[in-house]
Amino acid sequence: MKKRVFSILLALGLAVTALAGCGGEQEAQDPAAGQVQETSGEKKTFVFGDTTFNAENGIADINPHNNSGGWACIRYGVGETLFRFTDSMELEPWLAKGYERVDDLTWVITLQDGVTFTSGRAMDGEAVKECLEALVDTHVRAAGDLHIAGITAQDQTVTIKTQVPVPALLNFLADPYACIVDMQAGVTQEGIVSGTGPYRAVSLVPDTSLGLVKNEDYWNGNPKIDEITVRTISDGDTLTMALQSGEIDAAYGMPYASYPLFENDGYTISGCATSRVFFGAMNFESEITSDPAVRKAIAMGIDKEGFVETLLGGNGYPAVGAFPDNFSFGGDAVSAQTYDPEGAKQVLEDAGWVDTDGDGVREKDGTSLVLRWLTYPSRQELPLLAEAAQSSLGEIGFQVEVNCTADHNSIRVDSGAWDIYVSAMVTAPTGDPEYFFNYHCLDASSNNDGHYHSDRLEELAAQMAQTFDPEQRAQLAIQMQQTLLDDNAYVFCSHLRMSMISRAGVTGLTAHPCDYYEITVDLDIA
Amino acid sequence: MRKTGTADRKKKKWDGIRIRLWIFGGLALLLVLAAFFAEAICPYDPYAQDLSMALRAPDMLHPFGTDRFGRDMLSRVIAGARTSIFSALALVAVITVTGTVLGVICGYFGGLADAVMMRISDICLAFPGLVAAMGIAAVLGGGIQNAVIALAVVSWPKYARLARSQTLAVREEPYVAAARLAGSGPGQIIIRHILPNIAGNILVTAMLDVGTMMMEIAALSFLGLGAQTPTAEWGSMMSDGRSMLQTYPWVVLTPGLAIFVSVAVFNLLGDTLRDYLDPRRLHKRNEM
Repeated sequence: MKKRVFSILLALGLAVTALAGCGGEQEAQDPAAGQVQETSGEKKTFVFGDTTFNAENGIADINPHNNSGGWACIRYGVGETLFRFTDSMELEPWLAKGYERVDDLTWVITLQDGVTFTSGRAMDGEAVKECLEALVDTHVRAAGDLHIAGITAQDQTVTIKTQVPVPALLNFLADPYACIVDMQAGVTQEGIVSGTGPYRAVSLVPDTSLGLVKNEDYWNGNPKIDEITVRTISDGDTLTMALQSGEIDAAYGMPYASYPLFENDGYTISGCATSRVFFGAMNFESEITSDPAVRKAIAMGIDKEGFVETLLGGNGYPAVGAFPDNFSFGGDAVSAQTYDPEGAKQVLEDAGWVDTDGDGVREKDGTSLVLRWLTYPSRQELPLLAEAAQSSLGEIGFQVEVNCTADHNSIRVDSGAWDIYVSAMVTAPTGDPEYFFNYHCLDASSNNDGHYHSDRLEELAAQMAQTFDPEQRAQLAIQMQQTLLDDNAYVFCSHLRMSMISRAGVTGLTAHPCDYYEITVDLDIA
Repeated sequence: MRKTGTADRKKKKWDGIRIRLWIFGGLALLLVLAAFFAEAICPYDPYAQDLSMALRAPDMLHPFGTDRFGRDMLSRVIAGARTSIFSALALVAVITVTGTVLGVICGYFGGLADAVMMRISDICLAFPGLVAAMGIAAVLGGGIQNAVIALAVVSWPKYARLARSQTLAVREEPYVAAARLAGSGPGQIIIRHILPNIAGNILVTAMLDVGTMMMEIAALSFLGLGAQTPTAEWGSMMSDGRSMLQTYPWVVLTPGLAIFVSVAVFNLLGDTLRDYLDPRRLHKRNEM
């Protein structure tokens, strides 16, 4: 009898907890409902989910002088730069009003009047000078880009002197690291800075969230949202469900597989081509890829269209060269090998790579055509590209061994460990082409891991370093890319289509080709 | 009297446990055969990509649909059976044999070797199994072989412990003493008298472990530490399709279902075998 009473009680207890669970779910939905009320009331709030706002991507805080913190600073509307990019990636003044290049080494920049930092200080020449000096003191890449010899400030002008001619100086000043922040207010322990943007940071927990409030004194319009929370959601599936449940209002970094869930009236998808390119660098020290015929066959054996259309679900653009269509020196300005498996077989056949033992893999002088493909998993496209190429190159007689590892950075410097290194890089972060070649393709490049060398490329690069005219620089960029493509030293597969997805009712959240501007003064929620 | 007795016994021969044993044994055999003849029964090449056929919902041509590379899911699930089932069986075989051999030696001879071996097994048991396996697999690098090695390293002590305690009990039995008096050496005693008497228990534990090991191998592969692409393996196939659960559910559900069915079959077989070899039941039958 006692036993029965006990079991009934137990069952009842279980039922109650189960029901309480349901109740909890309902409650969890309530804040979302509350938000809608709030937005229609006097206080507007907005929650943004981002997969990249974390220390793993070098964005631990919003301090532009700390690693890639500038990306968060500019993306979330805290900081602004002296110059910015238009939708066609041309430079226009932002915190600057204008500029003058006095000689090859001297630039005079005039600043906007009436701009104040969120700390309350007015943005003048002195403030900009302090900020840029602090930048080159602490940020290695910035120091290497800018080559600053000295800065002088007077009222609303700054004069920058460089050690060597830096034709792309203004472009570099539009990089997120060059966000102008108030150095007198300094950087708080959490990594919060005072910028000039439409929103002011009030709280920051690395890898978790950033709290923003409206900057009432914004110089360039009226911000419309009262409170914004940026949440770090590094897992794509979690991000998907957070947007579905209404926990967040908009998302950056959505996995492609989730797009069909949002392709309806309930959501808005804003996307555009960026200069991030998925590309393979051939290893010129390798027995396999030092053979021009092999490189040509690889370039002809990758189905770029199929990769973009099917595996990325159309969320990308097949690439020809290093730069996408929206650059004057990008897209079809150059020409490359197209997908042609039969042609690739012929190229290999003619070069003496023949399958003599009938195992499906070609050989030449006792060497098998084994291609060691090095790549990494943190960009969702790369493992897909590797697996697709494994199959399509397999058909023309390669045996592709994929090494997809987070440890790629230590392996790529060992030229005996791989034949092709496939990575994803932003080729023109500042709208200027010089960066890509300097970084990847020259004898002096830090990331020329495949030890590619071309006399012609070196010559053109030297010419570019002395050229100030953007038209001429574009022409040089075309010739330089064509040199790379003629040597099949690199195979450019696709460009990233960067997208943000927001709930219907969110306006003013637009993807930009440089991927810097997300939360702006235009952001609103109905 | 006597006639009814034999009839009774005949009936008993086909009692519920026996029937269950035949059913689950047959199902398990079927799975193993499917895994063995995977290449012959796959309707398509499990590794052949066809992007134009990507992510097709299940239909007559592809009963399990296709994945994002256009590969036939049914063929991949069958090919995955080979990887998953064979590596689980190999793993269980390895840990059972090593564990039992070490356990019997320790239990029979005792002494320093016993103390050292049991402390090592204590150390292995002190780590949470899968976490330790993840650590080892991460050091060894990806690949199904390394996953099996990692799981073997953390799983053998269970069998060593079991075999040792059983050996300690059996060693004191009068018939072992008698064998020793009759001049049998340790090797003979272990093989003739100890192993046959402890085999039942170990066999049952091993059968019950097949399902668990299958899950753990799948878990390591799901985490990217086991089978590497493009190898068809249930755990890594589920991991690949994870983000498509809402949009293309068959990519995740079909390998999931395969894991569920085979783990269930091996667990039920283990359960039945335990019931079948239960000493109380055997006694009861002998009494009749």
